[in-house]
Amino acid sequence: MKKRNVKVRKFGLYFLLLVGALISLFPFYWSAIGATNESGSMFTKPPTLIPGNQLLENMSNLNEQIGIGRVMFNSLFISITYTIIALFVCSMASYAFAKFKFKGRDIIFTIFLLSMMVPYHATIIPLFKMMASWGWLNQYQAVILPNIAYPFAIFLMRQNMLAFPTALIEASRIDGASEWKIFYKVVLPSMKPALAATAIFLFMYQWNSFLWPLIALSSTDMYTFPVALSSLFGLSRIDYGQVMTGVTLATVPIIIFFLSLQRYFISGMLGSALKE
Amino acid sequence: MKKFKIIVLMIMALSLFVVGCSSSDEGSSEDGKVELVAWAWNVNVGALEDAMTMYQEENPNISIKVEDIGRSDVYDKLSTGLAAGGVGLPDIVLVEDDRIQSYLEAFPKGFANLSELGFDQHKQNFPNFKNELASLNDSYYAMPFDAGPGGMFYRRSIFNEAGVDVDSIETWDDFFEAGKEIKEKTGVYAMSLDKFKDDPTFRMMLNQLGIFYFDEAGNIDLTHPKAVQAMEMIKKFGEADLIKDVDGWNGTVSATVDGSTAAIPFGAWYYGTIIDQAKDTAGDWGVFLLPAFEEGGNRASNLGGSSFMVLEASKKKQAAYEFMEFFTTESDVQIMAMKDYGLFPSLSSAYEADIFTEEIEFFGNQPIWKLFADEMADVETPYFTKDFSIGLDEAIKAQASVFNGEDPATALQESANRLADRTERELNQY
Repeated sequence: MKKRNVKVRKFGLYFLLLVGALISLFPFYWSAIGATNESGSMFTKPPTLIPGNQLLENMSNLNEQIGIGRVMFNSLFISITYTIIALFVCSMASYAFAKFKFKGRDIIFTIFLLSMMVPYHATIIPLFKMMASWGWLNQYQAVILPNIAYPFAIFLMRQNMLAFPTALIEASRIDGASEWKIFYKVVLPSMKPALAATAIFLFMYQWNSFLWPLIALSSTDMYTFPVALSSLFGLSRIDYGQVMTGVTLATVPIIIFFLSLQRYFISGMLGSALKE
Repeated sequence: MKKFKIIVLMIMALSLFVVGCSSSDEGSSEDGKVELVAWAWNVNVGALEDAMTMYQEENPNISIKVEDIGRSDVYDKLSTGLAAGGVGLPDIVLVEDDRIQSYLEAFPKGFANLSELGFDQHKQNFPNFKNELASLNDSYYAMPFDAGPGGMFYRRSIFNEAGVDVDSIETWDDFFEAGKEIKEKTGVYAMSLDKFKDDPTFRMMLNQLGIFYFDEAGNIDLTHPKAVQAMEMIKKFGEADLIKDVDGWNGTVSATVDGSTAAIPFGAWYYGTIIDQAKDTAGDWGVFLLPAFEEGGNRASNLGGSSFMVLEASKKKQAAYEFMEFFTTESDVQIMAMKDYGLFPSLSSAYEADIFTEEIEFFGNQPIWKLFADEMADVETPYFTKDFSIGLDEAIKAQASVFNGEDPATALQESANRLADRTERELNQY
């Protein structure tokens, strides 16, 4: 009797999970299906839910329209470079905020946090002017560099750094390790889960970023994926097959990036559970 | 330690590399070669490029680089560049007609005065409403390009099944009766509309009636008896359950493809959407002009359309002007844009081309372009003003509250009052 109850409960739980999984996966499935059918088919009644044979056609149309390779390279180059530089800058800054004592530290940190409250749109015109006067418009660095010190990433890293035992840092100091060495050899290795989380966050931020790349980049061959996709929307003629193909392609790198960092996530969780 | 230094060095090198990665090309005019830069969206890009090929036959030193930017994205870029004092801008930009006046008001020094460059001589080649939309204080700031003469795109099979003869529909009341007939016999709605988020049908009706959100003097005109009349007509269709409520653009396309609406009132450019998305329904379509409000009344209307502007900050203003003058006033170019890209011209001399008498197979061999072309001369000017987007917002609110049961006159009065508050414009009293 009892056994049966457990079974029923388990069944109910898995059923709920299954429904949840289906609901969250459906949009991906839908866009993948859209990518293999021709444009009008997603509007038919009932909607087309089986793969069609238009994938190659859609791909070649999309490629002709936006140049998939070039756009993919731009987006990957910008996002990866940004993630590496920003991760480096933000982790150093957060280490300083968490473990060094200096005058005005907390005020500076507060100002940093408050800057998150400034609406992004308010900074666009000054930023644009700055980029223009340096001659950086329509160049990669105009998209990569402005946000390398990203307040939220610094905040996230700092919270993790705070948990790091200061005694360990002091012990290393007594042993004669330089500050750089402590940061790199002692602190960072235990921060891998936090670094992975921050990296995913930074990568997603840059990969999905739309308004600033749109404004800072002006020639078609410099476009990032979201900007190029948006150019598919004219007044009345939209090829949904192309749009869906583009959307599907644009999600692939994020999935790969997430999957490749996922094990740090999990090891981080296990690690903290087993500590001490 | 060594490893760490290497990492730091690599990151520094990466940063330098990024900074060094410049693809700067100013298109400077050595050896007399000029490269123009234009911002446009979608099919307009191809039209500009093909027109340049035609232009190069006589002007081999000119070329054009057209940046394909999403329609609404163009405005974000344009506004940013103008607000930053005219940096990072192209020589030529495509702007929709309902936006021109607000740009001229917000950035009076941003755009080239085309009358000074000689565009006035082309005035008689464009319909009156296009000329008015493209100019400010009797000077051209935009070159009229495409237009969206209004029509009812309808499904022949549905009308036939209900036994409704399209030619007998002359007034909105006729169409109402026909709609009831269609609904009864086929279960299909008469028209589609995004009831709570957009008002294209109301706008076209206002345009038919010779009024708009604002009048020529810029006063608010939403309380005009004719505006009330138009809103009452929409309400009448709604109450008889003849309007299919759709969700945004995609909902409209969906209703078009799946045959849940018998007719869709839109601009001529909707042709492109139909032939692209509803390929299986070839031959089943037709177009008739929007019905009039009274027998013999005006059936001409326009929805959408765009024009080209030349940036004042451009260093190649003269060359840009000359090419765009060629583009907008040369019949052959406009015919090419129509034939190859479906961009309906407003240049009247273009209407002499064969395509404007051709029978279109997709539309049951109806010469639909003739119908649209003939309509152009009678289109009244809608006065968008710089506050068009606020007016649009309030008109949509009025329409939404009408569909929620409010009396049209009251709903429009309330919207007009709010509009007066928001724009500090005079409110016409009737």
